[in-house]
Amino acid sequence: MPTFRRLRTKLTILYAGLFAGVVLLISLVVYTAVSNNVTRLVREELVASGTVFDRVWALRAAQLENGAGLLSRDFGFREAIASNDQATIRSALDNLKVRLGIDQALMIGADGHLIAADGAPVGAISPGALQALEGDGTASGVLMIGGAPHEVVSVPILAPTVMGWVVFAAKLDHAQMTALERLSAIPLDASVLDRDASGRWSDADGRLGAGEARRIGGYVDQAMATHSWAPQVLSTADGPTAVMVKPLTVLAPDAPAALLLSYPMSRAMAPYQPLLYAVVVTALTGLALLVLGSWALARSLTRPILALDEAATRLKNGERTEVAVVTGDEIGRLAESFNAMAAEIGKRERRITHLALHDPDTDLPNHQWLQRRLERTGGDDLFVAALGVDRYAHVRGAIGYDLAGELVGEIGATVRRAHRDARVARLSTDVLGVLFRARDLAAARAVVAEMQARLEAPVRLGDNTVDVSLTVGLASHPLPGERVTSLIERANIALDLARAGRQKFAVFDESLYGDPAKNLSLMSEMRQSIAAGQMVLHYQPKYDLRLGAVTGVEALVRWPHPTRGLVPPDAFISMAEETGHIRPLTEWVIDQALADQRALQEGGLDLEVAINISGRLLDDDGFATPTLARLAGAAGAVCFEITETAVIEQPDVALGIIERFAGAGVKVAIDDYGTGLSSLAYLKQIRANELKIDKSFVFAMASSQRDALLVRSTVDLAHGLGLQVTAEGVESPTALALLSGMGCDLAQGYLIARPLPLNELLTFMAEEERALRTYG
Amino acid sequence: MRGLALLFLFLLGSLPARAADLAVEVRNAQGKPVPDAVATLYPAQGARSGPIHFDWPMEMVQQDLQFHPFVLIVPAGAVVAFPNRDDVRHHVYSFSPAHPFELKLYGRDETRTVRFDHPGAIALGCNIHDNMIAFIKVVDTPYAAKSGADGVASLRGAPPGQAVLHVWHPYLRAAGNEIVRTITLPRAGGAREIVVVELRNPPPRDQSY
Repeated sequence: MPTFRRLRTKLTILYAGLFAGVVLLISLVVYTAVSNNVTRLVREELVASGTVFDRVWALRAAQLENGAGLLSRDFGFREAIASNDQATIRSALDNLKVRLGIDQALMIGADGHLIAADGAPVGAISPGALQALEGDGTASGVLMIGGAPHEVVSVPILAPTVMGWVVFAAKLDHAQMTALERLSAIPLDASVLDRDASGRWSDADGRLGAGEARRIGGYVDQAMATHSWAPQVLSTADGPTAVMVKPLTVLAPDAPAALLLSYPMSRAMAPYQPLLYAVVVTALTGLALLVLGSWALARSLTRPILALDEAATRLKNGERTEVAVVTGDEIGRLAESFNAMAAEIGKRERRITHLALHDPDTDLPNHQWLQRRLERTGGDDLFVAALGVDRYAHVRGAIGYDLAGELVGEIGATVRRAHRDARVARLSTDVLGVLFRARDLAAARAVVAEMQARLEAPVRLGDNTVDVSLTVGLASHPLPGERVTSLIERANIALDLARAGRQKFAVFDESLYGDPAKNLSLMSEMRQSIAAGQMVLHYQPKYDLRLGAVTGVEALVRWPHPTRGLVPPDAFISMAEETGHIRPLTEWVIDQALADQRALQEGGLDLEVAINISGRLLDDDGFATPTLARLAGAAGAVCFEITETAVIEQPDVALGIIERFAGAGVKVAIDDYGTGLSSLAYLKQIRANELKIDKSFVFAMASSQRDALLVRSTVDLAHGLGLQVTAEGVESPTALALLSGMGCDLAQGYLIARPLPLNELLTFMAEEERALRTYG
Repeated sequence: MRGLALLFLFLLGSLPARAADLAVEVRNAQGKPVPDAVATLYPAQGARSGPIHFDWPMEMVQQDLQFHPFVLIVPAGAVVAFPNRDDVRHHVYSFSPAHPFELKLYGRDETRTVRFDHPGAIALGCNIHDNMIAFIKVVDTPYAAKSGADGVASLRGAPPGQAVLHVWHPYLRAAGNEIVRTITLPRAGGAREIVVVELRNPPPRDQSY
C-alpha cells in the first residue's frame, strides 16, 4: 500500500480504483453475457436456418420433380420421344425451362443420348453423373455441371417402361444463395461447397480465401466424418464466424457437396455494439464523475482537517487561534472541541503566566514581572527602590502567615495609590520593589523619603493594627563601567547594605558591593593575602577605669589590598562568615595576635589580647582543637570576644567549646551586648568573663537619660553576675566620666585610641606610661 | 393339369423327329426364382416349319385396372385382343419401336385387336392409368415359354443339338433386356439350364404428379 501525503489523493484513488474495478467487472459480465447470448442465438439460428433450408431445399426439389414428372408423363412428349422427334422434344424442354424458371432442362434417352434445351452444357455431364441420373426412379441432388453446382432432378420417362429421363437443373449460384439467405431470421451467408478430386473444398462463388477454405474444409471434413452438424465458431477473414455445415445429397458420390451457413460474430454482435459503447461511455462518465465527486468530497472533508492542522501548528507556536466551525458533523465537533481546548490552553497559559509573574499571596507582580517591565521600559531616569519590611519574620510570627502577606499587599497597595506612575512588585517575602521615574538622584531620594514616611504609619489589618518599619535600598541606573547592572539587584544590594549598616536607607554603592562573582574572587584573594602575609592586625587599647591604665588591646584585622586599597572590614568579614572563609582568617588572626603579644611582652608590655571569634566557629570542632593547641603557646592573657552576627546553630556544641576555651584559661567576652540576638538567656548559658556594651548605647548615653539608665542597669547586671563590663564607643570625656561613675570596668573608643598598628601601639603605650593620665 | 398339357404336346408335336425338353430355370443372384421371364430357343438346325401356335389365349385383358397377364408371348403375325373388363375406360398404347400403336378410349366389354407382325418386345401402358403396365413379347420361334412362379420356363420338343437360348425379362439389366447364350440340347430326355439374371427395379408406379 503506497503512502499518501494527502488524504484527498488517498480517498480519490481509493474510490476511483474501487469504482473502476466494479465497472470493469460489470463491463466484463455484460460483454460475456452478450457474447455468450449472441453465440447461443447464432448457433440456434443457424440450426433453425439449416432446418428451414432443408425444407426449402426439399420444396425446390419437389417443385423441380413435379415439373419434370409432368413432362415425363405428357403423352405428346412421350410420343415425340417414341418417334424420336428431336425438335419437338427440344421445344418442349425449352417451354418448361422458361415456364418453371430453371436453368437447364434436358432429356436423356434410354440409349444414353442427350437431348437438351438451348444452351445446355451437355458435354459437361460426367459419365458418373449420367449413371446417377439414369436411375429407376426419381433422383435429385447436387451435381457439378461445368464446374458449377446445380440442383438437379432426374425423372424417368415411362412409356410405360423407361424411355429416358427428364433432367432439370437449377444453378446454385449467388442469386440462389441470396434467396436462401433471405429466408433466415438472421442475415447469414449461405454457400455451397464442393470437394474437388484433390479433396479440397471450395465454394462455387469463389468467395472464400484459400486459408479460410482450408480451415472451413477441415471443419466440413470433420463434420462429414463424425456426422455431427453442430455449429462451430471458426476464425475467418471476417473474424470469428459461426459456421454450420449441412451435407447435400449429391448425384455423383465421388463429388460431395455441402451447404455452408456462416455468420460472422462481428455482425451478430453489431446490434449490441451501441449497448457495449453505452456501457463503456457510462462507465467512463461515471468514473470521471466519481473522481470529481470524491475529490470534492475529500476536499470538503480535508479542508476543515487542514484548518485544524494549521490551527494546531499555530497553537504549538503559542499563537492564539480559533477554527471556524462550519459543519455539525464529527469534524465540526472536533473543531468545537479544538476551540474549547485552545481557549482553555490560552486561559491556562494566561493563568500560568500570571502565576509566574505574580505573587500568589498578595497578587502583586513579582520579581520576574518587574524585571520584564524594566527591560521594556527604557530611560536613564528610572529608579528602583527595594522596600524591606523590618523584622518580617517576627511580624509574621506575631500576626500569622496570612495577615503578614496581607500586610505586604497593603503596603504595595498604598504605594500604588500614592504613586500612580510607579510599578510595584514583591521581590521577595519581605521586600517590595518600586519602579519609578525621577529627575535625578536627589529627587528620587525625596520620593523614597516621602514614601517611607507614608508607609511607616500603622497599618490596619482587620481588627489589628500593625506597626511597620521599613528599610529602603535605592538604585539608579548604572554608570558606565559599573558591574552590577540590574536595577532590582542593585536596589536589593542597597537594602542589604542599609540593613547591614543598621540604617533606614541606603543608595547602591558600587564601591561597597561587588557582584557575587567578584565577592568569590575577593575571598580567594583574601586567602592569597593571608598566605602572602599581606593582612595586618590593628589593636585598639582597652582602658581600665579603675587602674587608669591600658591593660589590654582588641585585635582588629585590616586588609590593605594591593590594588583595591584598604578593604573595609565590614565588606569582607561578613562575607568570610557567609562563605566559610572565616576560619582561616580567624586562625591567622590568632597566630598573628599571639605573635604580636609575645613581641609586646618582649618589649616589656604585658597586654591582654582580645580576639573576635565568630559565632559560626563555635560549633566547629575542627576549629576548637587546633585553636586550643595554639593557645598553649600564648605569652599572656587571651580573651575571645564572641560576636553574635549569626545564630549559633548548635548551642550545645557551642557551649561545650566555650567551656573548653574557658578551661584553657581563655577569657570569654560577649561582644556588642544589647543588640542582635544577645539576651539574658545568653548571659545565663554562657559562662563569660566579660560583657561589652554596644557602642550605640554608649554614643547616646550622654544625651539620653534612658540609654544611660540602660547602661547603668547593664553594668549592675553584669557585676551582679560576676562579669567585667567594657563600654565600647567611648568618644567623649563625659561618657567616660559617666561610665566611671556607673562602675564600668573598661572603656574602649576613640577617646582613648583608635585601632593602631603594632608599632604605633608601642609608641602609644610608651606615651601612656609616661603620662599615666586619666581621660576626662 | 400341367402333366396333361405336356402329354398333349408330346402326342402332337414330336412325331417326326426325336425331340428334347428344356427347363430353363431363371433366378436372381440371391437364388430366388424370377417369374415372367421369357425363354426362347433358336436351334441351330432351324425350327420346324409351319405357323407357330401357342396354347395360351392371345389376349391382353384389362381388369381391376391392371393388364393380365403381365407378360404375353405371341407369335409374329398374331392378332391380340385387348378386352376391357373394367367399368372404366382405358387407352392402351405402346411406344415400343417394335410396334407402336394406340387404342383410343374404349369402354367395358369392348374388345380391340392389334396384329403384331414383327418380333420384339412391346411395352404396354394405359394413358389414363399409369399403374397399368404389361408386355407383349412377339416371338418368331415355336420354342418359347414364360417362367412361372417357380422361375422355370419349360421348352418342349426342341431338336437336340446346338441352340441359342434367349432369356428376356422386361426389367432384365442387360442390353435389350435379354441374355443370350448358346447351349447344346441332349438327344433325348430333358435338359435343365439355369440362368441367373439381375433385374432392375420396376418403374415407379405409384407416384403422383
